[in-house]
Amino acid sequence: MILVGELSLWIALLMAAWTTTVSFAGGMQGRPDLIKSGERAMYATFGFVVLASIGLWTALFTHDFSLKFVASFTSANLPKVYLFTAFWAGQEGSLLFWTLIMTMYSAVAVFTNRNRNREMMPYVTGTLGIVALFFLMTMTFSENPFERLDWVPPDGRGMNPQLQNPGMAAHPPMLYLGYVGTAIPFAFAVGALVTRQLDAQWLGAVRRWALVSWFFLTIGITLGMWWAYVELGWAGYWAWDAVENSSFLPWLTVTAFLHSIMIQEKRGMLRKWNVTLVVLSFLLTILGTFITRSGVIESVHAFARSSIGNWFLGFLIVATVLTAYLVSTRLNDLQAKAELESMVSREAAFLYNNLVLVGICFATLWGTLFPILSEWVKGDKITVGPPFFNAVNGPLGLLLLALTGIGPLIAWRRASVANLQRQFTAPLIAGVVVFVTLFALGMRDVYALASYLLAGFVFGTIIQEFVKGVGARRRMYSEGFFAAFFRLIGRNRRRYGGYIVHFGVVVLFCAFAGLMFRRDVTATLKTGESVKATDAYGHEWVFTSQGISSDKQLNRFVTAVTFAVTRDGENMGLLSSEKRQHVNSRNEPTFEPSTEVGILESPKQDVYLVFTGAVDRDTAAVHINFNPLVWWVWFGGIIMAFGGLIVMWPQATKGEREGGYVAQIPMGRDMEPVGAGA
Amino acid sequence: MSVDRNPMTNGRAQSRRAFVVRAGAVVGGLSLLVRRAAAQEQAEQQAGATNSGEEMTSDSYKPVSRPPKPGAQPTMGKVEVENFERQLACPCPCTLDIYTCRTTDFSCGISPAVHGDIQRLVDGGYTATEIMEALTGTYGDFILNSPRKEGFSLAAWFAPFAAVAVGAVGIGALLRSWRLNAKTADAARAARAAAQSANAPAVDATPEELARLEAALREER
Repeated sequence: MILVGELSLWIALLMAAWTTTVSFAGGMQGRPDLIKSGERAMYATFGFVVLASIGLWTALFTHDFSLKFVASFTSANLPKVYLFTAFWAGQEGSLLFWTLIMTMYSAVAVFTNRNRNREMMPYVTGTLGIVALFFLMTMTFSENPFERLDWVPPDGRGMNPQLQNPGMAAHPPMLYLGYVGTAIPFAFAVGALVTRQLDAQWLGAVRRWALVSWFFLTIGITLGMWWAYVELGWAGYWAWDAVENSSFLPWLTVTAFLHSIMIQEKRGMLRKWNVTLVVLSFLLTILGTFITRSGVIESVHAFARSSIGNWFLGFLIVATVLTAYLVSTRLNDLQAKAELESMVSREAAFLYNNLVLVGICFATLWGTLFPILSEWVKGDKITVGPPFFNAVNGPLGLLLLALTGIGPLIAWRRASVANLQRQFTAPLIAGVVVFVTLFALGMRDVYALASYLLAGFVFGTIIQEFVKGVGARRRMYSEGFFAAFFRLIGRNRRRYGGYIVHFGVVVLFCAFAGLMFRRDVTATLKTGESVKATDAYGHEWVFTSQGISSDKQLNRFVTAVTFAVTRDGENMGLLSSEKRQHVNSRNEPTFEPSTEVGILESPKQDVYLVFTGAVDRDTAAVHINFNPLVWWVWFGGIIMAFGGLIVMWPQATKGEREGGYVAQIPMGRDMEPVGAGA
Repeated sequence: MSVDRNPMTNGRAQSRRAFVVRAGAVVGGLSLLVRRAAAQEQAEQQAGATNSGEEMTSDSYKPVSRPPKPGAQPTMGKVEVENFERQLACPCPCTLDIYTCRTTDFSCGISPAVHGDIQRLVDGGYTATEIMEALTGTYGDFILNSPRKEGFSLAAWFAPFAAVAVGAVGIGALLRSWRLNAKTADAARAARAAAQSANAPAVDATPEELARLEAALREER
């Protein structure tokens, strides 16, 4: 099976080359036979990549250490679940995994468009073929997961301990599903540009794919934060690391696109901008991969480094030049007669929302690349760390939060003073009440106060929209509260799913603001000794060392320190943190010791214990952190993903939607129809 | 590839064979080029051209020491030292600050050593500014966790806000042009309506009703 897999990779390469060649040739010559052949070749490419993947998984599960990849990232005593996830633990496997998702998406896109968008599909298939071809070439010529060693080692090196975590089982697949998802809208954009079919039709084809990408990126980023928090032991979840930033960049542009697409759908405007955002999202994905895997920028994700940076840089340059050429030669086709009745309108609010999203994207990219730029210009390498990103993106993030509330309150086309008063009064009161309450309770941090003020305002807007919608349904259909609530969402998933996403954003900002109130203490304690600490809420905590214990578990030696914890005298249980020395099947150390943190989790705050080292058999050095509201980061991420799922879910037919109260409410020029598409 | 038996395309079999040969030649040529690039890349790798590994070793630690000042007293307490260390980037690839790095999981030999240097300088009577100068004198600005707000590094801070400001001005101009388009279109529509009403029989509707109709039509569009 391993040999079949290896051969399949080469056949997939040929299939992808065939897909690309005949699809473009078929499109240009107008030959249906070539177009059909290209589409079948795309299915075949997917099939052979599946076979190659099965081959690699077989090698991993059978411990075939003659393969360099298997010997580098697994060992004979690695738990089975991690043999499965080892597929994406290293460069070569992760490229194959990427290609697997890429070709799967491509096959689905080709299949679902077998009777639609026929004029542009040859170019869509061809573009997807090029992307698949690039990844397959990168693998077969540079990072082949089936590369064999000259000799067969008795055991493998094992997996990086930090990857032996449930978060790592799910985080990379989710992120890849999101990353690769940007390739489909990109291919449709290329198809639309080549065929000059730049009306709303191509947008319809890509909107759901953009949502798929956004959905998985959201889950992937949230899982990545969770993994970093529970595994890396620095008590944080986002360090503005180059690799983290790489996943954040396309998320920002896809989010911007999902907002600006509404302006084109409703008003036919922003055609150039939407094409640009789609192309930019894909290029940022490739740029992110270049940053992640080339090693040009320091990153904690050192396990993913290799020498394929040149490949990605070359592909990035070629893709940028070609798409820039396509866009620049189609500017006339992208021209739209844009009219705006008022500067105070939802169109304007969405434009500013896009500006801030892209502004954050630029700031993040700029900060990530500035060390390289500085080295080129001055010859000195400098560090652009979290203080920079927090200082720059903090204000922009707050501005974005404000716009999250303002946008939905303003009517399309024109908002009157009466409309603004009616819409803004309650949310503003909500924001001010939150601010005054927190100030009265003693909160003085300016950023935190601003965050909670705006969070209160945006939360108010969301509640107001739901109250209005549910109230209208109850009046018109005499429905119960819950029936009206669920039907309101079901009848207009885009709008109300979007509000749920906004609610997730509010929760996230509230959680981020909690970081301002972190407390920590370091201590070195013998068994029976205690350390006292006070958290941001004023609770007094006492940690009493119960001593250090040693043990052998699975594929590691474990040294643990345990503390009895009390809060204001109340027993909170035991809290342990471990030092782990992973070993291979011959008990030889495979990596540097790693730390497994202990977390006493609650919605109010996490108590986060890090065993930094054993001074002697009886004395442990520890770092204890009180992290307020971290639980809400995961919850906010889940809410956002859930909202995205609602938005993605196929909408009821138009007839059913209009069967709601929407069509029956009298409507003025300044009035946003409740329940109409957001 | 299966043989195409479609009578619609059968006549193209010859040209397809030629196409396949040409495509094969192109793919072959490309693969040769790629192989050459890959071989070169491999050679570079073998020569140890990658720089990432170098900075992961403890060689990045550079001792920073000064003789204690006469009658020196510690210039900072524990908390001040911790806050000071948060402004410094650890030279290991953890991307964390010195304080966070030395108190966490990363098996880093550098951050504890830098902390030791800082503590000795603090005990030796050196102020935060003097210690910072000593550290940057040895490590360069790389040790600072964020760029200086002077010289070329100022561009790091300036550019994002400048870009957003330029974008905001651009959007303002765009919105104004759209507003102008709307006014022009409104005027054209009004002129058309006036011309139509002059020629057409009178409509049985009040001006308010006509305005509502116009608004409704625009909403529909």
